[in-house]
Amino acid sequence: MSALRCEDVRWAGLWFGVTAALGVWDLLFLNRPAFKRVSIGFVNTFAIAFMTAVCTLVLGWAAAVGLHGLESKGRRVRYILITFAINLARSVPQIVGILFGYIAVASFRESGAWGAGVLMFPLLALCVAVFVFPEMTDLIRERIAHFSASDFYNAMRVCGVRERRIVNLHILWRNSRIHIFNKLISVFGMAVFLLCSVDFIISVGLSSDVNEVSLPVTLGGLLATIDSKQDILAIGYTVTHPQYFPRLFFQHLQGVTVAFLIVFTLLCVHRVSTGFARRHRL
Amino acid sequence: MSVIHHSISIADSGRTIVAIDDFSFVENEITFLFGESGIGKSLLCKALYGLLEESGLSVSVDGAAYDRHCADAWTRQVRRTSFFVFQEPSSHLNPLMRIGEQLAEGSLRGADNEREVLGRLWQDAAGGAAQRICEIYPKPYRPSGGEKQRILLAMAFKKLRLYHRDYAAGKPPTFYVFDEPTGSLDNAYRNLFLRLLFEAYAAGPFTALIITHDYSVISEMYRAHRSLLNRIHFKELVRANDGVVRLRDFSADEYLGWLRSQAPAVRGALAETEPVLTVEPSFGAFGRKLSIYGDAERRRPAPLAVRRGEIAYVKAPSGMGKTTLAKLVMGLYPADSLSMTLCGMRITHASSRSLWPREIWGKKAGMVFQHADEALDLEATVAETFTGLPLKQRFNDAAIVRLLGELFDAGEGERLLKRRVKYLSGGQKQRLNLLRSLVLDTELLILDEPLNALDFESIKRVLAMLEMKRRGGTALLMISHNEEIFDTIVDSAGVYYLGEENGNDQG
Amino acid sequence: MKSKIFEHILSIVFVSALLITALFAVTDTSRRDGNGGGKYQSQQGLGDIGFVEINSPFHRALLQDVADIFYPGSHDRNVSLVRAALLMQERALSDRLQTAYVKERLTPAKMAALAGMYVKFLVVYIVVMFLTYYGVQTLAVWQFVRERRRAGAEDSLGRIIARLAGRLASFAASMVLFSPAYVIAYSMRTDLNTDSTFFMALLGVISNGLLMVYATKFHAFLTAESRKGYVETALVKNLDSSYDAGRGGISAADILRPFKRFDGHVFDHIYRNARFQYISTIKEQAAFLITGLIIIEMALNIHGHLCYEMLRQMLYKNWDVVIAILLAIFYTVKLTELVADAWAHRAALRYENSTARP
Repeated sequence: MSALRCEDVRWAGLWFGVTAALGVWDLLFLNRPAFKRVSIGFVNTFAIAFMTAVCTLVLGWAAAVGLHGLESKGRRVRYILITFAINLARSVPQIVGILFGYIAVASFRESGAWGAGVLMFPLLALCVAVFVFPEMTDLIRERIAHFSASDFYNAMRVCGVRERRIVNLHILWRNSRIHIFNKLISVFGMAVFLLCSVDFIISVGLSSDVNEVSLPVTLGGLLATIDSKQDILAIGYTVTHPQYFPRLFFQHLQGVTVAFLIVFTLLCVHRVSTGFARRHRL
Repeated sequence: MSVIHHSISIADSGRTIVAIDDFSFVENEITFLFGESGIGKSLLCKALYGLLEESGLSVSVDGAAYDRHCADAWTRQVRRTSFFVFQEPSSHLNPLMRIGEQLAEGSLRGADNEREVLGRLWQDAAGGAAQRICEIYPKPYRPSGGEKQRILLAMAFKKLRLYHRDYAAGKPPTFYVFDEPTGSLDNAYRNLFLRLLFEAYAAGPFTALIITHDYSVISEMYRAHRSLLNRIHFKELVRANDGVVRLRDFSADEYLGWLRSQAPAVRGALAETEPVLTVEPSFGAFGRKLSIYGDAERRRPAPLAVRRGEIAYVKAPSGMGKTTLAKLVMGLYPADSLSMTLCGMRITHASSRSLWPREIWGKKAGMVFQHADEALDLEATVAETFTGLPLKQRFNDAAIVRLLGELFDAGEGERLLKRRVKYLSGGQKQRLNLLRSLVLDTELLILDEPLNALDFESIKRVLAMLEMKRRGGTALLMISHNEEIFDTIVDSAGVYYLGEENGNDQG
Repeated sequence: MKSKIFEHILSIVFVSALLITALFAVTDTSRRDGNGGGKYQSQQGLGDIGFVEINSPFHRALLQDVADIFYPGSHDRNVSLVRAALLMQERALSDRLQTAYVKERLTPAKMAALAGMYVKFLVVYIVVMFLTYYGVQTLAVWQFVRERRRAGAEDSLGRIIARLAGRLASFAASMVLFSPAYVIAYSMRTDLNTDSTFFMALLGVISNGLLMVYATKFHAFLTAESRKGYVETALVKNLDSSYDAGRGGISAADILRPFKRFDGHVFDHIYRNARFQYISTIKEQAAFLITGLIIIEMALNIHGHLCYEMLRQMLYKNWDVVIAILLAIFYTVKLTELVADAWAHRAALRYENSTARP
């Protein structure tokens, strides 16, 4: 019961509960092919978003620890070059970068250079992570800088503790893992948003060989199908014709389900992240 | 003599942070409150003053909910008439408002003694230096810690003037709290603060509580303010058990008697050997040129030399550069100019930075930092604090418990072994901070404010342990504000003075 | 600041050089290629058998079995043949979809048209930036003040219902604010002209979670500042500390004012410091905003707008036009970063005591 008093636990529980209830409802009232599409889209979206979070953590940690090492050893040129590259990635609007990344991945897939299937997932996750990891790098560097500025860092150095141990164990694992975990929650949410948006844009605007044949279907791509668009139009229709509201749950279930899953997930991830930060006084 | 009694309890998520059945002080008299850091002195005073934010905390005063205490007539009157000088002056000034604006804000606007108070606190009757301070925004290094402290004290004295002016007859209750008011000040400014406080007291009594770790204030009271001793009380907050504390009288005689019994450390045979550390008098860092002197008048530059089995003590006004010197010796700051010999190695400002991690840190020299809260990994357990050190042999739990027994009570070490450092009191953290460096058994040990945050009993134990180390042949270099104690236990030949090379010693 | 400006200039030069080189390379290649049609030609082959649906896994498996029967001992060759047939089918589909292949070059007329689209993009961007700057602070301040207001009198049924209705309304508003732009836009398409600049600006502000995310950040700054020591000092100087709407408190008008001031109140200290910290997040907010605007233009297929034009040109593989648009977007991001850095630097300098002498 005490766990439920925590805002992040409550919202996480709410997400699981509502998603499960929605799944049961769709099982009962959504046709099988549509249900299968929605399920696959749901699993794909979350799998890629999860992998994006993992890739972001690895890239962010490597960049931050690498930069710290270069800075403390006085290797200015390499430090400047890597910082420049990261700032460049930061300057590219994420959606544009990921779009081009998707096109590149689809081209490789098409040319048969890489295998199909499961390998696409980490590739797409990497596409997204490349434009998201600078935030993780900033956080890790900020944590290292915060402790380096205080006596924490120097007190351990003069006791003979190795620098790698101070940075990785004392600063990052013991004193920053909560901050990093909180950042990963928001990275996960951002990944869901970007994946759905890119997939929607590609499905609506670009040649369909990029989407239908090459890339795993996500919730964004499903939203772009004709059926879903009509379902979403029905939501707006309900605002001016409230008596139409019950039909949304039976006749327009695919689009409503997909739209609801995207929006509700983004809201819940945000609330979980905020609640987690509040609970740990971050 | 009217005594005010309160019972206070402060808890966080069911865990008692501090609780006391009888937090009492004499009304319209001055109480000095001692006790180890982290025991709850500031929290209890803030609770009484009505300053605690209740989110996450469960606070009750005299059995009543906290919002009732804050709405109580006594609390409302106290907040109108009194002031609270907080402990860390740096964080208690708004960096985005000029100091002058902050001095004249809110209820302080009506006070007419600002120029006079600033002139006295800056010892500048014309007021030029203080006036310039008023025009700036408080930043980490400017004004200095001591100046920021004086600004907060100026606010308190302005409020006192208002109290005396507005309540000339029929005095409402007061509760002035000064939390470590002399922490960033050297003895000269500390004595100035006491003089100003007692002058204000003479204009009209008020209730004042002064929280301090500076036991030498007792000596100052007996030396310069004997006439007020019947209106002064010395109290100490001690731990009863987890979170629960009690207030007891602190015996000034006990402290003064102990101080009189101390004598300078006797030089042993090892003191005839080559110094472990020699620092040439002139050195520089961050664009400043400093010099080490052998005399209090700072006329005779002298190399700082510490031999095995000796204690050297460096004195200087606050902000002069004592800690900077220590960090230069330990290679933590790059020096503009420096020439020293450490454990037989000749080191200058041009020496490679890799020399220290390779040869010195944890092997030949160690350093205990001032603030244990910053120096220790608060998320580690007490046992984990000793992992990763370059020890000659691995320390198991039993060995750690034995080590802890040197500075902790019997049984306490075992109880604390698996506890996270953040749950220790300030005094316990400082002792752990010391032990981590002492266990390395280096030839030289630099100690920056080693008695910081300790209560009287712990001070005695730490000094006893340092004496044991000294007799074992360790060279000790001390940096401390506790001039009274270290002037007593350090031979005068081992006392050094730090100053600017051009002779400007303002901190 | 000088090093930051140098870095920005360096990245502008680097990216410009890269993209302009790519632009010349693409222009040169397309001139040599001529007006070729689709890259891929349909081929007669295994994929063209009328009764075989090569996209169906079942049919592919059957075809493979047949091939194994007719060509035993060449299983691997049979597998790659079937795979090649699938690939050819995909390319043929792509060819058929690209029947409206439009070849455009980066002519002066085209550049003028792009310039007009860019100006429209900038106008929407600037308007949304100002609106979100105001909206973020107002939302965050409102939430902060509401948290600190004293609870009202005892709960009556009316109050409980009102509170419940408030929570539902808040949930519904959050769902709208977190919706991706295309969800809101497609919902409203029958009732509103979603191609208008006004709607685009509105969508830019209320969708994609921009307001909520940055309001939460600003709120976190306010909360962090409220825990700092100078707030305690302000309290003991007897500044107003009530957050209720009455005298000595904070009213709705104070919260909604564009240039907020809370003179004589403890919150003035908190707000000043939080706003100062917030300046450093403007860069990040601007990048998020640009991403949002790009999504809006692309996803809604708004003709005559810069980002949809980029999407269209990507579809038709007119890479020179795409590069030109990319450069324009990149310069917008860089200009924003420069302005944000300059603003942050100027704000920091103001409090650096640079003119006050010791």
